[in-house]
Amino acid sequence: MELPVPLERDPSSVSIVPVSDEDLMGRAAEDDERAFTELVRRFEGRVKNLISRVLNDREASDDLAQEVFVRVYAHRRNYRRGSKFSTWLFTIAANLAKNEIRRRVRRRNWFSLDALQEMLQDSAPQLADPREGQEMALQRGQLAELVGQAIAAVPEKYRMALVLRDIESMAYEEIAEVLGIPGGTVRSRINRARGMLKRKLQPLLRREGSQ
Amino acid sequence: MKCRDARRLFGAYWDDELTQAEREWLESHFTGCTGCRESYEVLARSLELASGLPRVEPEPDFAERVLARVRRTESVPDRLPVATPRWAPALAVAAVVLVAAVFAIQFGGRNTTRQVTQAVAVNPAPATSTPTPPAPGDAAVLEPQLVTAEGFSDSLFDHSADVEFVLDPVTVRRGQAHPATKLAPPITSGEQATITF
Repeated sequence: MELPVPLERDPSSVSIVPVSDEDLMGRAAEDDERAFTELVRRFEGRVKNLISRVLNDREASDDLAQEVFVRVYAHRRNYRRGSKFSTWLFTIAANLAKNEIRRRVRRRNWFSLDALQEMLQDSAPQLADPREGQEMALQRGQLAELVGQAIAAVPEKYRMALVLRDIESMAYEEIAEVLGIPGGTVRSRINRARGMLKRKLQPLLRREGSQ
Repeated sequence: MKCRDARRLFGAYWDDELTQAEREWLESHFTGCTGCRESYEVLARSLELASGLPRVEPEPDFAERVLARVRRTESVPDRLPVATPRWAPALAVAAVVLVAAVFAIQFGGRNTTRQVTQAVAVNPAPATSTPTPPAPGDAAVLEPQLVTAEGFSDSLFDHSADVEFVLDPVTVRRGQAHPATKLAPPITSGEQATITF
């Protein structure tokens, strides 16, 4: 009678989940495709989300996120062992997203602040009933779209810091590394970005009516 | 002044980075200042909306698509390929052959001329027959050869006449002489010359 091979003895079934991101990247740097695939699986969502929020373009986020990982693999031997993988990854993602913003701005005025303000004003009458509440009057998807557009209307250098901090929950120190700017500048950019976002979203928020 | 100080702390309050003393001071300010409290609530709600946006869901085939793209990228050189006409390699080879021919003519011309002249003078028969070397003392045979040699220029070819160089593509491609050129005697003057190596 043939006994089933224990999973642990089957090399192809060895789980690599407990391995740290940095160890996986070290293996990927030595052309280990399985380690690289695991890294892609771990960070796919965060990278896509970052790009999607910075560009306010979910469809483009898939393609650009692929490009981020392609670059990670292409430059795998430049990865400094011991450095935090996510910082390196998000540096690449942030740079690609910034390049994409600039490319779009060159081609046309992709993020039109005027158009956004116009739209926010148009949506205000829908929220006029104080009994219902402005947020409740909006469909959830519509609200998300407006918030996404409000974020996209924040100038790029502030937006990137805002998304990394308030959407990706990254530490200030890591944001400073990703963006290559001092910690104090990160804080100041985030504070300014938050203020801008607040002003843009005020018309949507119920309490704003009383001010 | 108090309100301005309070608003400066909003960000750190949201991040929970205030000291206990700062937090207590701000919260006591909120109880007495509706404007600051509502302003903070708007900020907090805005940040909640931003952080609560629906996240992009991972796709099951994303990693495979990335790997496929990696493989495609790795198989393609960094530089974009430049469209090269099909005849370009043949032209390049022909250019090299031509340059080599010019060098051969310029630097090996003197010896070649003498050898050709000797071959023509001593044994004008077709190349198929074995040339017979002249006897060392046979002046009668050598005399016309010397006269002929003086009539030739220093080059293999007579540059006073128009000479058309024909680069046989078959020869160039295969790296060996075209059979037709082996049969034909070398042309050193006239209107056409076939160059083979």
